[in-house]
Amino acid sequence: MSSNPSTSSTSGGGGGSGGGGPCGACKFLRRKCVAGCIFAPYFDSDQGAAHFAAVHKVFGASNVSKLLFHLPVQRRHEAVVTICYEAQARLKDPVYGCISHIFALQQQSANVTPKILEGGNVLVGFAAHVLSQGTPVNQVVNLQAELSYFQAHLATLEGPSPQQIPPPQPTTLSPGITINDIQTPTSLLGSYDLSSLLEPMMTPSWNMQPPNRRQIDPRGFMSVGTTRALDMAPSQGSTGDLRELARELLQRPSSVSSMPCKTEDSNLPPHNIRDDN
Amino acid sequence: MTSTRCAVCKYFRRRCPSDCIFSPYFPPNNPQRFTCVHRIYGASNVGKMLEELPVEDRAIAVETLYYEAKCRIQDPVYGCVGLIPWLQQQLNIAQVQLAKTRAEIAFLYANVAETVAEPILGSTESLFQQNDVVDHGLDERNSWFY
Repeated sequence: MSSNPSTSSTSGGGGGSGGGGPCGACKFLRRKCVAGCIFAPYFDSDQGAAHFAAVHKVFGASNVSKLLFHLPVQRRHEAVVTICYEAQARLKDPVYGCISHIFALQQQSANVTPKILEGGNVLVGFAAHVLSQGTPVNQVVNLQAELSYFQAHLATLEGPSPQQIPPPQPTTLSPGITINDIQTPTSLLGSYDLSSLLEPMMTPSWNMQPPNRRQIDPRGFMSVGTTRALDMAPSQGSTGDLRELARELLQRPSSVSSMPCKTEDSNLPPHNIRDDN
Repeated sequence: MTSTRCAVCKYFRRRCPSDCIFSPYFPPNNPQRFTCVHRIYGASNVGKMLEELPVEDRAIAVETLYYEAKCRIQDPVYGCVGLIPWLQQQLNIAQVQLAKTRAEIAFLYANVAETVAEPILGSTESLFQQNDVVDHGLDERNSWFY
């Protein structure tokens, strides 16, 4: 058996066939490395022998030989690489082998996915709350409409000049973030069960409105004002109650300025939903 | 001697002893299981591996061997190793998605009034915990693979 030094890398060509020394596989098996040895291109004399030792212990030389024989030549190198990897992983972990790496990756994905869904739930819930649950902008608009109505009604009934009743101050709220600025992300994965995430924190917050908002609830305000106005006009036509009502109307908008979410626009602009997909 | 031979002893047409190492893991009603394993690893190699393991780990070892053998039969070039780059890519995509979601939440929390955002976004601490990456010992060995 010739003892020419190996001239190839670990997984490169080389090895003994013919004039050269035996390949790593034949060296390990202590057999003559014949020409056309199927292992020779992939297991050199130096490190190839160590790699083949692992492969032989796990798979067996004959099984690997059969595997490589049934593969096209251009795919054998990749097959040898993966077989060596599996063999070394199995020797390192006799129970799981390389499956442990697959399990680890699956577990990492399983840890990440719920967080993505949770984040998506948070964003969707936030968008729903801000954009669709009676925003302060809606209430301001409704209040202004009510004010205009009753002022017109006052003018019709009493005939006082509009100057006696101070014109409603436009609620120039501080320019904070507008609804247009709130861009809801749409990079959501599938459908979300809002109730599972949002119930513990969303429900109480939505029910828990600032006191000012309850006082200026347009529905409750409108019911009182409407009743009083309708009752006054046909029966008495007295101006005292109407003036008192007007004072109430004029006092209401001042509390609007203290509302938390303030927008500059009186009209509800369509919110922008930025599509990331 | 068991009255019913295990799949291994049936395959080799031999008597199945009572202490057959294969019988608990290769029942006779599933011969394909052993056929796959034998085709890739060989019965003698499987027997040696099982002998070196404690009894409580042998069932799992047989399952993983069967899984690897099936993958290797289906994909003779890559086997189950082909799943690793694909899973890694899926994990990278998921981590990028998570980072984007975190950034969007942070943006909302920084720009919306606290009275509106706090009840909704307040309990988002778990989303920002940096415990997504699991250090795996085989990573250094996989450098050649990528």
